[in-house]
Parts: sequence; structure tokens; C-alpha cells
Amino acid sequence: MKKLIILITIVGFCHITYGQTYNNFETDSITESQPYKPSKTQFMIRGYGHTGLNFMNAEGEKESSYVGSAFAPIFLFKHSDRLMFEAELEFVLENNELEVGLEYADVMYILNKNMTVRAGKFLLPFGTFMERLHPAWINRLPTRPLGFGHDGIAPASGIGVELRGAFDLGGPSLNYSVYSTNGPRLKDGSEEPEEAGMLMFQNFEDNNTSKAFGGRIGLLPFADSSTEIGFSTYSTSKVGATDSEYENTGAFLYAIDFAFIKQIPAISGFIDIKGQYNNSDIDDATFTETHEDGDEEEYTFDNKSNSFYAQLSYRPTMASSDFLKKLELVGRYSNLNTPEGAEWEEQSDQYAFGLNYWLTWRSVIKIAYQTTDSVGGHDGGGTANGFFVHWAIGF
Amino acid sequence: MKTTYKILTGAMTILVMGLTITACSSSKNAYVNADTDDFKIEKSGAQYWGETCNRCHLAPSPADYNDTDWGTISLHMRIRANLTAMEINKIETFLKSAN
Repeated sequence: MKKLIILITIVGFCHITYGQTYNNFETDSITESQPYKPSKTQFMIRGYGHTGLNFMNAEGEKESSYVGSAFAPIFLFKHSDRLMFEAELEFVLENNELEVGLEYADVMYILNKNMTVRAGKFLLPFGTFMERLHPAWINRLPTRPLGFGHDGIAPASGIGVELRGAFDLGGPSLNYSVYSTNGPRLKDGSEEPEEAGMLMFQNFEDNNTSKAFGGRIGLLPFADSSTEIGFSTYSTSKVGATDSEYENTGAFLYAIDFAFIKQIPAISGFIDIKGQYNNSDIDDATFTETHEDGDEEEYTFDNKSNSFYAQLSYRPTMASSDFLKKLELVGRYSNLNTPEGAEWEEQSDQYAFGLNYWLTWRSVIKIAYQTTDSVGGHDGGGTANGFFVHWAIGF
Repeated sequence: MKTTYKILTGAMTILVMGLTITACSSSKNAYVNADTDDFKIEKSGAQYWGETCNRCHLAPSPADYNDTDWGTISLHMRIRANLTAMEINKIETFLKSAN
């Protein structure tokens, strides 16, 4: 016990002795603070989320539900002024389930002022809607046009490599993109007979040795960048699985897009006109239909589809009232035509009208009414009306 | 695949390749006899911000992010919106000066 007390005393004395510090005011007053230097690399989270309320009335069947709670974080890692990694996740509550998706994840490197290479999973520049306009806080209406989207007739994203860039033409400008991705898969009807002949663009592992090639050229002919006209293509020589009867079935898709955005003093605000036309042409193939009595029947059809949308919106940004400045009126027409003779045959016309209130530049409350007239389709056609109240925010 | 579509795709590929070669080429006389007195009217970053950043969404508020953030966002948007180098450089400079 005596030895322990002596040891503790010695340790305490040494601690006090060597722990003592002295203020050197002369040195402290002379030392200058170093300027702040921001990091050359940065990790950043952006993204968007939305929620809302839907009232649906389809041929007398009414449905009302809070829907669309979604959260899409975007991760950006800037490695240098030329190198960046970006990724977007999507969490959606749908059909009483939480669906998780990887919208894109890619690496990009700027080769020079006119050329950038990108690799990974990226949004495809097939038209502009899915690449630029589909996020909920950017899309002026709560819904997407007919035929546009992840289950539409056009590709939304792909895994591959891309070369893109833009040129300044001394006022006008031109942008381009060329890419190669895993080609789409042809649904042969073995799993979902009612979808035989459709393309499945979510093809994470290629089912054949053929790759899809595509590109887009966009021209902004005026110096104020108010107008953009784009032409896109996407094609592959094989959409069927290797060694299957559909192996050599090819596909060619193209799209034409248009945008006009300009502030016009005569109408005291911004006018925004956008549109896109998609066309899909898949080589003819023979599919098998199994009847209820077990008999099988072969059938074929001309596998051509097209979809179109045109949208007009107006924002009175020059109004004297602060409330009116934040309002936006929007109207959209869209159309979808799928092949005659296919199990998924459909001819639909849709009109949507909305009133938006912009809380900030990236937060919007949307109120919209939509009516869709369909012939054919999975639901058998008819008229479906919808009333939507949605709230979207980007961050 | 239809022959017409192949030709169309091939033509588009050739066009892009031509543009690429043009972009990578250099001019021997590019830096000779440059007249520094030439006056050029160029749009400011604020003009580019007002025109370009409105094409898809509403123009962002410069005060919402700091300089480092704007650098990252600008790099991201250069690719996403396929902007020219001049456009994005001027917009980034403006946003950093206005936040």
C-alpha cells in the first residue's frame, strides 16, 4: 500500500510538471492566420422528392389515395475539374411496396472543351424528356406523357459508354452525343404472354453479342438559346437471346424533340413549349399464343409503335403581384399507338391541364386534371380521368 | 435491320466523327497575328444564367450554394444539359460572384 501511494504521488507530480504550459504572447500576436483553401475534391448530395394525392375515375370505378411518395438522392463526387462520379437512387412507395432503383451511376471525364467521355449506367439522350425533364421537380405536370417512362416504347437509360459534347458556333450552338450500350431484350411472351414483342430496355446483362448504338444531335439556332431542335437514333441488329429463334430480330428507334423557352414582355412572362416524337420499328417475328383449351396458335404483327407529346406552359413572371409571379399554367397533349395485332395493342389520347405554384425555384405544388381515352391496352380501353395534387421539391 | 436505317445511322456516325476530328484539330495560324484591339461583344454570365438555366427548370438562386458547391454543380450540369465550355464557365463565374 505504501508503495502504491508513493507511485501515484510520483506520477501526479511528473504530470503536473510536464503538463504546464506557458503563454508566449509575443509569438501569438505575430502569427498570422492562414487563408482558407477550399478542397479541390468534393462530395455532394442533391436530388429530389415528391408526394401527393390522386383521385382517379376509370369507367365509373373511383379511387382516391395518397400516392407517389418518392425520394431520389443524387450523389456527386467531384474528383477534379475534369473528373466526376455521379449516381442517383430512387426509392418509391408503390403498390404497397418500397421499390428501390438505380437511375444512373457513371464516371465522366472531360477530354477537352468539346468532348466528354462517360461510362457506366447513364440516362440516354433519346429525345430530352427522360434525360432532362422527367424529375418530379422539373416535370410541369404530376404525370408523364403516354409512352414516355421506364415502361415506355423508348429507352430511358443504359449501361455502356458515351462520347458527348457541345460546340459554340458564335451565337448558335450545337450539342451531340454518341453511345453504345447493352441492347434491349425482346419479350418473347414466355413469361408475360400479353407483352410478346415489346422491348425491355432494362438489360443489365446483354443476352446476345450485339450492342445497341445511338446518338443525338441538338441544334440551338439562335443566340439566346431559346430554341432547340434535336434528332436521336437508337438501333441494334439483335434483340433476342443468343441461339433463340428471335436472335436476329433487329430494332431501330428514332426521336425528334423541340423546345422553345423565352420571356416575352408583350405577355409579361415566360412561354415554354416542348414536344417530342418517338418512333419504334422492330423486325417482324412470330409469337405463340396459348388458348384456354391448351391449343397453341402462332401469330405475327407489324411491330411499329409511336408516341408523341406537346406541352405549353406560361409563367407571368413580370406581373406586379408576387403571388401571380409564382403561378404557372400548363397544358399537355400526348398520344400513344402500339402495333395492331399485338396483345398490347393500344391507341390512346391524353389531355392534361395544370396550375402550379412555385414556392421556390426548386419546390412546386402542382394541381392538375388529366383525361385519357384508350382503345385496347391492358385495361381494355375506355376513358380514365384523374385529378392530382402533388408537391415536389429539389435539393 | 432496314437498309435505310443503317444508312441513316451510318451517316449520323460519320457526322459525329467529323465533328470530333474538327474539334481535335489545331490551326497553324491560330495564334499568329492576333489583333488584340478587336472588340467582341459577348454575353455576360448573368445573361447565360437567365437564358440557359431556364431551359429545363427554373433558374437557380445563386445564394443557395457556396463557391465549392457551384463548382461541383456546374461540372454536373455541363454534362447533363450538354452545355458549351464557354456557357458553363461564364455561368459558374457569375454564380460564384453573386452568392
